[in-house]
Amino acid sequence: MNKSLILKVKNLNVELGKEKIIEDLNFEVQKGEILIILGPNGAGKSVLLRTLLGLHPFQGQIQWKKNIHIGYVPEEFTIPSGLPLSVKEFFQFKNIDLPEISRALQWVEIKSSPGFLEKRIGTLSTGQLRRIIIAWALADNPDVLLLDEPMLGIDIRGRVTIYDHLVKLWQEQGQTIILVSHEIREVVKKADKVLALNKRKLFFGSPRKIITFQNLVKIYGGEISI
Amino acid sequence: MNLLYSLITGIFIGGIAGYLGSLMVTKRMALVGDALGHVALPGVALALIYGFNVTLGALPVLILGIILIWLFEMRTKLPMEALTGIVFTASVAIAFLFLPENKVSVALIGDISQVGFWNTLISVMLCILTFLVLRKIFSKIILANLSENLAKVEHIKVEKYNFIYLACIALVVALGIKVTGSLLMGALVITPAAAARNFARNLSQYSYGALLIGSFSCVLGILAFKVFALPAGPLIILAASLIFLISLGFKSK
Repeated sequence: MNKSLILKVKNLNVELGKEKIIEDLNFEVQKGEILIILGPNGAGKSVLLRTLLGLHPFQGQIQWKKNIHIGYVPEEFTIPSGLPLSVKEFFQFKNIDLPEISRALQWVEIKSSPGFLEKRIGTLSTGQLRRIIIAWALADNPDVLLLDEPMLGIDIRGRVTIYDHLVKLWQEQGQTIILVSHEIREVVKKADKVLALNKRKLFFGSPRKIITFQNLVKIYGGEISI
Repeated sequence: MNLLYSLITGIFIGGIAGYLGSLMVTKRMALVGDALGHVALPGVALALIYGFNVTLGALPVLILGIILIWLFEMRTKLPMEALTGIVFTASVAIAFLFLPENKVSVALIGDISQVGFWNTLISVMLCILTFLVLRKIFSKIILANLSENLAKVEHIKVEKYNFIYLACIALVVALGIKVTGSLLMGALVITPAAAARNFARNLSQYSYGALLIGSFSCVLGILAFKVFALPAGPLIILAASLIFLISLGFKSK
């Protein structure tokens, strides 16, 4: 594995409950790259992320650079409203201190007042919880970020500013980012590579080459505007 | 002297049961304590017949019961609660084949009026040990309960911690049976935690609140037992239930 290679995926096959979810997938991610995974619903994007994280059994090869520290934003994350768990305690699961919590919250446009930190996390709105879980993934400075539809439920203004913060953070710290998203417009500008997936690899390369009208029709199978 | 030993035993066992209960209620395993209390009954019966420590009698039977449930689940894939139901009722049936009639009440509702120095010391030490273990795994279990995937990404060995957690449940149930008996043990983990949840605004208020309410219920129950000469086990549970009723008035929105 060369120095700047963070992840190498070779002949990856994933089967869940006898259904083939991912077939014979190959790709590589270099240090500091932003890779965007596109594909219709049911294409296996979330399963791919979870497989990369070691959460599903697979055949083939997934090779991460040694001692890599990964932050993950899952597609689904809810907290029962009755659970007495404060925002601060949720961050403390990561053994981080208050300044680090405030810094992470700033990245997702949340002012960390003492009142907010003491709030029950189960009473937050969907969008706020989503911001918290992004901040949580960022809080302990991961080398690689895996984000699965991170902006689900976040308002438009929030999306733009959070993406801006993510990009700024990425420029400062040079994380590698792997992102599953449907929002072609906002994110593709910043991507180094795009992986279009529908169980098999459809396209893999720079966004300029991939994100064309004809390709999008092939990926999503219908009329779509860029 | 006996009263002092009873109080110390009650404070520690009530506290650890409450603390563990805050985890069990969160994981929706509240009734597991109740079921395991019943599973232990044959061991409790043997201890009462041969005059040794009830906790020592209960523990091996509990471990056997948990292993059986686990094995049955591997073999059948039936829901855990159904398998637990089978094992605990079979246990109760076995116990009643040989449990002498004059021991039934102690087995079912406990008796800590006669604990001696060594029994108290052993209980206290086991409680402290269990508390230290639980405090270490507490946040990991809660995170794994919120999202197992997220916990695994954080390198939390979920299976390992669940196993330690189950072992703690077995130990606390074995300890609690001495205080409130097989029949009422479940309440010792459920009620203080449920009451604390009504008061608590965060996780530490919740878990330590449950610990305090568990201890306090035991103190109230044991003192009431001295005053009214009624059995201590039921009085402890009633004290906890009363605190739960009071907590309803504090329910934080």
